[in-house]
Amino acid sequence: MEPATTTNETVPKQSAGTKSYFGRLWVDIRKDWDLYVALIPGIAFILLFKYTPMYGIIIAFKDYNIFDGMAASPWVGFQHFEKLFSSDSFLNVFRNTLIISVYKIVFLFPLPIIVAILMNELKNIIFKRSIQTIIYLPHFLSWVIVSGLFIDLLSTNGGIVNKMIVALGGEPIRFFLDSSIFRSVIVASAGWKEVGWGTIVYLAALTGIDPQLYEAARIDGANKWKQTLHITIPGLVPIILLMFILRLGSILEAGTEQILVMYNPSVYNVADVIGTYVYRIGLGDQDYSFSTAVGLFESVIAFILIVSGNALSRKFLQRGIW
Amino acid sequence: MNAEPLTSPGMAGSKRRGSRTSLGEKLFSVFNHAFFILLGITTVFPFLNLIAKSLSSEAAVVSGRVNLVPVDLQFGTYRYVAQNGMFLNAFKISVIVTVVGTLLALFMTTLAAYPLSKTRLRGRKWFILMYVFTMLFSGGLIPTYLLMQSLHLINKLPVLFVPAMVNVYNMLIIKSFFESLPESLEESAKLDGASNLTILWRITLPLSLPVLATISLFFAVQFWNDYFASLIYINSANLKPLQLYLKELFVSSSDTFLRMGNDVNVDAAMNASPQAIQAASIILATLPILLVYPFLQKYFVKGVLIGSVKG
Repeated sequence: MEPATTTNETVPKQSAGTKSYFGRLWVDIRKDWDLYVALIPGIAFILLFKYTPMYGIIIAFKDYNIFDGMAASPWVGFQHFEKLFSSDSFLNVFRNTLIISVYKIVFLFPLPIIVAILMNELKNIIFKRSIQTIIYLPHFLSWVIVSGLFIDLLSTNGGIVNKMIVALGGEPIRFFLDSSIFRSVIVASAGWKEVGWGTIVYLAALTGIDPQLYEAARIDGANKWKQTLHITIPGLVPIILLMFILRLGSILEAGTEQILVMYNPSVYNVADVIGTYVYRIGLGDQDYSFSTAVGLFESVIAFILIVSGNALSRKFLQRGIW
Repeated sequence: MNAEPLTSPGMAGSKRRGSRTSLGEKLFSVFNHAFFILLGITTVFPFLNLIAKSLSSEAAVVSGRVNLVPVDLQFGTYRYVAQNGMFLNAFKISVIVTVVGTLLALFMTTLAAYPLSKTRLRGRKWFILMYVFTMLFSGGLIPTYLLMQSLHLINKLPVLFVPAMVNVYNMLIIKSFFESLPESLEESAKLDGASNLTILWRITLPLSLPVLATISLFFAVQFWNDYFASLIYINSANLKPLQLYLKELFVSSSDTFLRMGNDVNVDAAMNASPQAIQAASIILATLPILLVYPFLQKYFVKGVLIGSVKG
């Protein structure tokens, strides 16, 4: 008849005040045991596929070779990083990454905003919907397909663009082999693929602007241009800033997948970016340690950028990415 | 009191100002429509030329006579590609990876999201942080590759979808949707004696179908379009998915050639594919997306909005 009081399971929740922290913890877990069990696969997955490779970063400080494996390979400290900062090829790669990224930001960041503002002025719903359907489409194509389309479009024998150039009296341009124009091809094709899709976020923000502001402005005699300047753009500033901060956070990612499909040895000197360099040195030359060092360098900087970006955004805009 | 919104209050010049504004606005509207027609054409344009080439004779294509209309119309290219064993095999691989991958990923990601959506979960913040951290920092290409090696996944089909089974970004979207469901539903189910997983299966999931549909689409597109994973992990010709097959097909035989160590596709180099056939291959590979996309567009758009516009 004696209730078992030595263990915690049989004590009801109401007497939580008299129980230890772990006692309460145990009660909660037992109550929702299936919830905690459901946690396991996801966490195990993350630990295995995401965190284990983080341990592998250690080889950036070693001279990795297959026979010794990760643990036994000799330690070399910051040797790879010294090589990194003094290597001409890496410095060139770093420069390319920044240049291409900045090009993309300067030319491609404002476009979706402008297009969204203009699109918001379309009164005919059917026209608007049709255009949206069309311009969203390239986002769903793989870079392989997009690359194929552009290689064909810009080819020197049979490519339509070159045919037009020749018809206007010029010389055919070897778009994919000419270092002075290849970066523009990268930026232009990235724009073709993503500008349409990028308008979605801004269009949504535009619908959030109070229509009464526009009414009041019209009554005061403001024309469309003034309305845009004084109502629309200020209304978009928060989302523009947020997107910009996010975009800056990934500045070191200049489009690895895209460039990997589109580049070739003739344009390495202008288009090799950190991501493609890590790939070529790592899996191509199989210089595992050095490649990991480069990758680590990039990951750390990206981490710092995005965390500080989010902190700034929280501070000034009261919203962050998470 | 008698303010008419479209004219400024009782000014003599109001009629003139009114009509000037509407002329300016009319002009703007014309320009705007023209701009978007141009934008639409620019988007569609690369396809038109390629489609025309795929339906033309090889001679016409190579001599540069094809513009927007097929020259020497023929369908042989499509017949050839649709019967080409390697193309079909690559297509099949992509379908398998996409279907299996999406189902697995949906299952795992949803299962991971559910506990995290319950505020009473102990350690919830830490678990969420563990997930989110992986979005900010990763081991990198080589350590991940070495992991796959030690798991003996290199050159095996599962490597194309298993590592992608839990996608944190998608999981957060699902989690936030779960959190928006009213707690009263769960409470009344609990009163009836339902366990957490029963609630998930019988109440939460049926209510979440729109979100799940959207996330499935995100996964499906990601799997279908991926080529990078197969590029680094797959060597056998018969395990190559469609995107990788295409990449090797046209990149090595057009005037851009890509040679990276052991990456040269001998098959493509030896029978440098006729351009018309390449064009047909690309079009056929794009068809699934083109067919499916218009119907599903609104799901994608909603997904983007949920994902990015968070308070």
